[in-house]
Amino acid sequence: MSSVNIARALKAIKRSIWVYHLNSGSCNACDIEILDALTPYFDVERFGIKLVGSPRHADLILLTGPVTRESLPKVVRAIKAMPRPRLILALGSCGVGGGIWWDTYSTIGGFKKLEDILRENGVEVDRVVYVPGCPVRPEAIIYGILLLLGVVEQKVKKVEVVASES
Amino acid sequence: MSIAKILEIALKTGRVTRKYPYEPPLLTSEFRGAVRIDPSKCWGCGACVKICPPNALALRNSGKEATLEYFVGRCIFCGMCAEVCPAKAIEVTKEFELSSTSLENLKSRVIHRLTRCSSCGSLVWTEAELKSVVKSSPIAEEYAVLCPKCRKSKFARAASIRIGVGSE
Ligand code: SF4
Ligand code: SF4
Ligand code: SF4
Repeated sequence: MSSVNIARALKAIKRSIWVYHLNSGSCNACDIEILDALTPYFDVERFGIKLVGSPRHADLILLTGPVTRESLPKVVRAIKAMPRPRLILALGSCGVGGGIWWDTYSTIGGFKKLEDILRENGVEVDRVVYVPGCPVRPEAIIYGILLLLGVVEQKVKKVEVVASES
Repeated sequence: MSIAKILEIALKTGRVTRKYPYEPPLLTSEFRGAVRIDPSKCWGCGACVKICPPNALALRNSGKEATLEYFVGRCIFCGMCAEVCPAKAIEVTKEFELSSTSLENLKSRVIHRLTRCSSCGSLVWTEAELKSVVKSSPIAEEYAVLCPKCRKSKFARAASIRIGVGSE
């Protein structure tokens, strides 16, 4: 299958999105926040979100960490193992932009470079949502998934202002 | 534990699940979210860029204008930029709903016009910084619009005239 109707696929999984938690070398704080979001306190099963143990069963990957060199081949394999549509939530400042490790030798530094590597390996990703935070709050994770599903509106937008003359 | 005991605890505790996003999030007074740069206060001095641990802030100089760029996707929400900012232009907000479908939407920019030395024409720095320096320190504007090199030579000339060794 080379192309998927992403709108139709999203509609089909809207009420039952299965997530796989993929740690690519994070400091663990983001991962603990994911576990927080899964507890009855935040209870993401309200939205049909369910944690699964294999990327083969997953609709969405929760990617934390700046992708260390050591984890890179495993991350690529895990994403490759997902069925289409491949949805990814890049979590934390590490997942989005590499965080404080963005230019270190041992990490590739964030999702943008991972996306290029995935493309080189012929792995297409259908939709990505970037969720900044260090660590991301459980509410921010919920918000990110709901943004992906089209339940909530995006709040941030690009801003460019010329410093005022006064 | 017997089911009766579990039911008893459950009935006593009641519902604990938060209804977010249909109710306000649990934000404590200590929580730090994204920072906001006030473009009317910022000088473009670059102190925040120097202190920022993950280089989420960057100052780019194109020759015509200097751009202070804030990439919230790499910010670790430490608040150090707000602490060092001499103009108090940075405010730490409680904003955390920052999810975006593209990286470009996570960037905000403040664009500064640059000034040039009125004598030799080399780059001095931003208009906003010049204005605030003139306002806050006892420096005459005719000196402030010069680059450090021209300012030094002009000052030396003026001083030498005053003590009577100048040629003019
Ligand atoms: S974003 Fe921050 S909390 Fe999350 S893994 Fe990176 S350093 Fe840790
Ligand atoms: S005035 Fe404040 S916000 Fe502007 S560049 Fe300097 S430190 Fe940064
Ligand atoms: S809060 Fe910290 S990481 Fe974020 S821009 Fe300011 S100094 Fe940089």
